[in-house]
Amino acid sequence: MSSQPWFAVRKELAPRRRLVLGILSFVIPLAIWSLVSYVPFIWHPDVRITDPGAVSYFQKGMLIDHDIFERESKKVEAKGEAKPHGTPANPIYLPAPHEVAKAMYTAFTTPPQRRGEKWLHQSLGNSISVIALGFFISSLIGVPLGILAGTYDALSRLNEPFIEFFRYLPAPAFGALAVAVLGINEAPKIAIIFIGTFFQQVLVVSNTTRKLDPALLEAAVTLGAKRMSLLFKVVIPGVIVDLYKDMRILLGWAWTYLIVAEMIGASSGITWFITQQARYKNFPNVYAAIIMIGIIGLSTDLFLAWLGRRIFPWQRGAAA
Amino acid sequence: MNMKQTHIELPSYLDQSDVVRERFERLKKRPVILNVRGLGKQFDSTQGPVTALRGIDFDVHRREFVCVIGPSGCGKSTLIRILAGLETHTEGEVLLDRKPVSGPGPDRGMVFQGYTLFPWLTVKKNVMFGLEVSGRGGLPEEEALQWIELVGLSKFVNAYPHQLSGGMKQRVAIARALANQPRILLMDEPFGALDAQTRARMQTYLMEIWKNIDVTILFITHDLDEAVFLADRILVLKANPGEVQEVIEVPVPHPRTPDQLLSPEFLATRARLEELIHPPQDEKTGLSEDHLNMVRMVPVDDEVADVY
Repeated sequence: MSSQPWFAVRKELAPRRRLVLGILSFVIPLAIWSLVSYVPFIWHPDVRITDPGAVSYFQKGMLIDHDIFERESKKVEAKGEAKPHGTPANPIYLPAPHEVAKAMYTAFTTPPQRRGEKWLHQSLGNSISVIALGFFISSLIGVPLGILAGTYDALSRLNEPFIEFFRYLPAPAFGALAVAVLGINEAPKIAIIFIGTFFQQVLVVSNTTRKLDPALLEAAVTLGAKRMSLLFKVVIPGVIVDLYKDMRILLGWAWTYLIVAEMIGASSGITWFITQQARYKNFPNVYAAIIMIGIIGLSTDLFLAWLGRRIFPWQRGAAA
Repeated sequence: MNMKQTHIELPSYLDQSDVVRERFERLKKRPVILNVRGLGKQFDSTQGPVTALRGIDFDVHRREFVCVIGPSGCGKSTLIRILAGLETHTEGEVLLDRKPVSGPGPDRGMVFQGYTLFPWLTVKKNVMFGLEVSGRGGLPEEEALQWIELVGLSKFVNAYPHQLSGGMKQRVAIARALANQPRILLMDEPFGALDAQTRARMQTYLMEIWKNIDVTILFITHDLDEAVFLADRILVLKANPGEVQEVIEVPVPHPRTPDQLLSPEFLATRARLEELIHPPQDEKTGLSEDHLNMVRMVPVDDEVADVY
């Protein structure tokens, strides 16, 4: 075992320790959740009735606030009638980990409540296609525009002041407008993702482009590079690794706009599933759906990171 | 040190042996590649206009090796950047093959002090870069491989820059600049970031390359030994404003080897450079670079009372 301390300012830990901490970062929240769920004397503000006794409105399996349970219990006791019984329980909106874990599977197998409604995998597919389309359209315009603005001062001056202004306008504020213009189906949702992503994207991309080492440009011009070759053979390849990293971060932001976007017009996708399940008080499914968004987001990012290392071999060994 | 040096009688740096003198006569008959006439550069700063360079005049002949040396702030980097077309000048003119130059171009190759290889390209692709963007005919790949072989990096053609050491990176940078077959190769303290040993090796490499191919070199350095070792002539600049102080014809005969570093001609030239660049301290300022005004901070009765 190395004698390196765990807390050393800006020193990298050994790989083993990093792995341990990485696992712990998931284990700790899970442990807290389990403690709250399974240890009866932590929190548990409600009582699950096992025997209603003489209380007229108690039913078996009912969740009742702890104070009310005590009060009713005292009341019937005073009258000399049968006492109700129950076990400490958490509110319905906090299911235990095992319930959520089970729901991760059963949510997919539960048929929709009504005909015409979507299965979970269809809802998820729907959300992913909205994100993908919104992000793709945004990138199609935003990335080239950002690169040009980062390369040519004239284009930067022409674009960026307006974009700086526009990016402060919250994307959801355009919801009603988007529905009026684009109808109630997918189009306005894609538009919200677009608005939420595009303006940040142009600024982030142009900033990254400006960070290219000017010495590389100087070297290129002394080698005879001119306008087009400078842009396509130096600027773009020079910043592409950083742009790729930016895109991964921006894709994460796009996900945060998803829920808002999906509430606009006809509710759809994973948001529809979540609100629907909450309405049925099926909270394990709600948590399962939220966790699924996290899993999809994280695994996409890990996949893209892995892909990045494959397509940009020159950054291997350099700080990744 | 100082004591000893005064005892050795050095020849004058102006004395040239017959061989050296004849070589300089031949050299001056060669065609002139680069003319610099009355070159000046002024720029505006918050404290008003500053003259970085003034009245710079010199010629560089074909296949000559010229070093530019001067104290920091003398504008030697500005000079080479103007020649490369990376900066503009405000006075005078720069002629390459008797034609004025404007802006950067592949006819003036440049090797920078920092590492400027394109990190996303392999060694081979880096060297091919100039050939490809200038769209010259021929087989860029074959040519590139020849240049890489010239700098002895054939084993690394497919390596990326981050896999190379500092010295290797600069060798690739030299190959990349030479691949364009520039009229003149401008080198801006190219070995400045390297350790002393690598640096000495790079100087020998560069001498080899220069001897074997048709290239004219203008080399900036702040290292006196490097200048004397490499140069046919040394252009000594002075600061504030940057002007040519003297053009020294180096009397050390060719071919140069590291053994010459202690030859009388070498030491004489080096002493002259020292005199020009680090003149004896001004009496007025009362400051000397060699002695700090220090108070003894170790007790006299300390266990280790002095360093001797």
